Amino acid sequence: MIEPAILLQILWTGIAMSSYFVLLTVAFALTLKVEKLWNFAQAGLMGVAFFAMFYAMNALALPTWAGIAIGLGATIAAAVALEVWAIGVLRARNSGGLTFFIFTLVFSQFAAYALTILFGTEPETIYPSVMSPVRILGGVAVSDWDLLAVATTLALMAALWAFLRFTRDGQFMIAVSDNAKLAEIYGISAKRAYVISGVIAAIFLTAGIFLYGTRAGVTPDVPLVLVLTAVIGALLGGIGRIFAAGVAAVSLGLLQSFSILFIPSKWQALLLYGVLFGALILFPRGLPAWRIWRLRRRLGPATPPAAPEPLTEAGE
Amino acid sequence: MSERQSNNGSAFGRRKALALPFAALAARSGRAVAQAKEPFRFGCLMPTTGLEAGYGLDFVKTFEMATKDINDHGGVNGHPLEMVVLDTQAKPELAIPAAQKLIDVDKVPLIVTAWSSVVKALGPVMNRGRTLQLNMGANSPDIANLGDFTYSTFPLADVDVTALANYCHTKMGKRRAAVLYINNDTGIGGAKLFRDTFTKAGGEIVAFEAYDPKATDFTGLLLKVRVANPDMVHMHSLAELPQVIAQMRQLGMTQQITSYSVGYNPKILAQLGAAAEGLIVTSLAPTSTANPNVVKLLDLWKQVGRAPNGLPYLQYAWDTTLVTAQVYGWLDQQNMPLTGENCRKALLAIKTFDLPMTGKLAVTDDHKVQKPVYLYVVKNQQFTLLETIA
Repeated sequence: MIEPAILLQILWTGIAMSSYFVLLTVAFALTLKVEKLWNFAQAGLMGVAFFAMFYAMNALALPTWAGIAIGLGATIAAAVALEVWAIGVLRARNSGGLTFFIFTLVFSQFAAYALTILFGTEPETIYPSVMSPVRILGGVAVSDWDLLAVATTLALMAALWAFLRFTRDGQFMIAVSDNAKLAEIYGISAKRAYVISGVIAAIFLTAGIFLYGTRAGVTPDVPLVLVLTAVIGALLGGIGRIFAAGVAAVSLGLLQSFSILFIPSKWQALLLYGVLFGALILFPRGLPAWRIWRLRRRLGPATPPAAPEPLTEAGE
Repeated sequence: MSERQSNNGSAFGRRKALALPFAALAARSGRAVAQAKEPFRFGCLMPTTGLEAGYGLDFVKTFEMATKDINDHGGVNGHPLEMVVLDTQAKPELAIPAAQKLIDVDKVPLIVTAWSSVVKALGPVMNRGRTLQLNMGANSPDIANLGDFTYSTFPLADVDVTALANYCHTKMGKRRAAVLYINNDTGIGGAKLFRDTFTKAGGEIVAFEAYDPKATDFTGLLLKVRVANPDMVHMHSLAELPQVIAQMRQLGMTQQITSYSVGYNPKILAQLGAAAEGLIVTSLAPTSTANPNVVKLLDLWKQVGRAPNGLPYLQYAWDTTLVTAQVYGWLDQQNMPLTGENCRKALLAIKTFDLPMTGKLAVTDDHKVQKPVYLYVVKNQQFTLLETIA
């Protein structure tokens, strides 16, 4: 079983398959960082994104680009509406963390039921066919879907990094995530930062569920399962560390993929939750490697002393 | 838990009566339409939401069609037949309270069910509640051992999977088989049966792997199979069957694939396209070519406006409604109250049912059903009859 071609195949497919988990995890981690919000409503937004694209491309027979545009538009609109008319209101009322948690969960359940009424519960894929053309490179099967997934994820991650690093809005988001009240004293609009983080999360969610829905069947309750995986990635990466959460999602995907060499396939899902269980008990602030790395960056002689902490986090 | 009652099904036109025993019962009542008498109710536990709803909703629709047809022809000795449907999502934890409600609140003496994990979980509930369970679509071999109150109108896996495994070895000359299966009651029972039959026939099982019901990536699993170098792969899957086949073909694996009756589904052809070519599946009911009665069911589905999911299962759904009507009719004639125990007595007393969609049903002490097995192969994007095994 442990032949180089097989290991390479598992590695490649594991990376490709983890791409949508990366996107969903980063969306969750971004909201958690900027808004300090465990936003389970993202499951509902995933549902909106998927079924908007599904309807556009199947019932309306629109081309892919138009379907994605409609899905993106619907998801961004829902995310902004949620921020302005629901989460923003709760924030203005100084609601407790539990209220936000329950509200976002209720929103996702509401969305799942509404989508069930509209679209039924049969698993649907965005395209009628789940097949994707394949080429063999060095003994490794590489499908068009794999390439699309990896390229989309890399492009979006690079764009997010650049946005946070080089734009004023990006830096304001980091400032708000660090201390929203202090940021507002300096004239930064926390509301704007929240809306922008919601919009970025919506883009990532749409991309993630598009990739998922072109490979596997989606029912209205599937996003609730996906958001749980995103939570695991965000927790393992360490709360507030967006890119570390993405790396954690890839690591989890690869761990699951390679575990097939050592354990029966039916235990793979158990492994995911086992890792989370252990990590929460042993490393409640995220895996230690990230902490050591951050500590080295902070204390090491080569570290520029003037680099502000929030920007360092964003640049991970 | 959603509930609905139905005694007239959907708005389908009046149909000619099939030559059925229940029609004789209706004729004896001297009534054209059942209306005045107290309705006879039966329970129906199916997944109307969740991953298996694609099949479950179509089963329920067919029960409604059959119920309406019976009522249009006078009902059961003049009593309209009524169905109480509850959702299980194909999950035992939902099915048990739903069955309890049907027994305690709705007081139905007979419940039709499907999905192996549900049927198996309900076995003890039915025994305690002394209510008859008629399994019309689950095929785990363990269902034969659930006690006095669970009978099947549908052949268990030991009929079609045994026939398939023997066919693969003797007729197709396959010697090294891999078995992939979903890790639930449906998958485990069927996979073990294929393994044991194939081995007994002289073949070798080179890989025997289960996967999690929520899995979406089967690459590692399939690579394990590739290393084992089988000359065929049997998949005992559910709704994820197209994904497993797609990923297998994308990894360049060209081995013969077989599955059981769940694979006999037109949606699989659309999802897989050319990758479905050569797939062999089983069916336990004759087609409309072999049995003209099936045309009636297909005509009713044409009015729905789409092809039904799992037509052979729907044929069993139709016939199970007729079995229910005959059981109730027999009890009514004997002036016996409609209880679960009496329904069981009636089932054993009638013993042989001549059913329009699936042929003769003989109720036996071993709780098993024997039927011919139809093997289909996908050729040019269509299911083509490969062999009939009596």
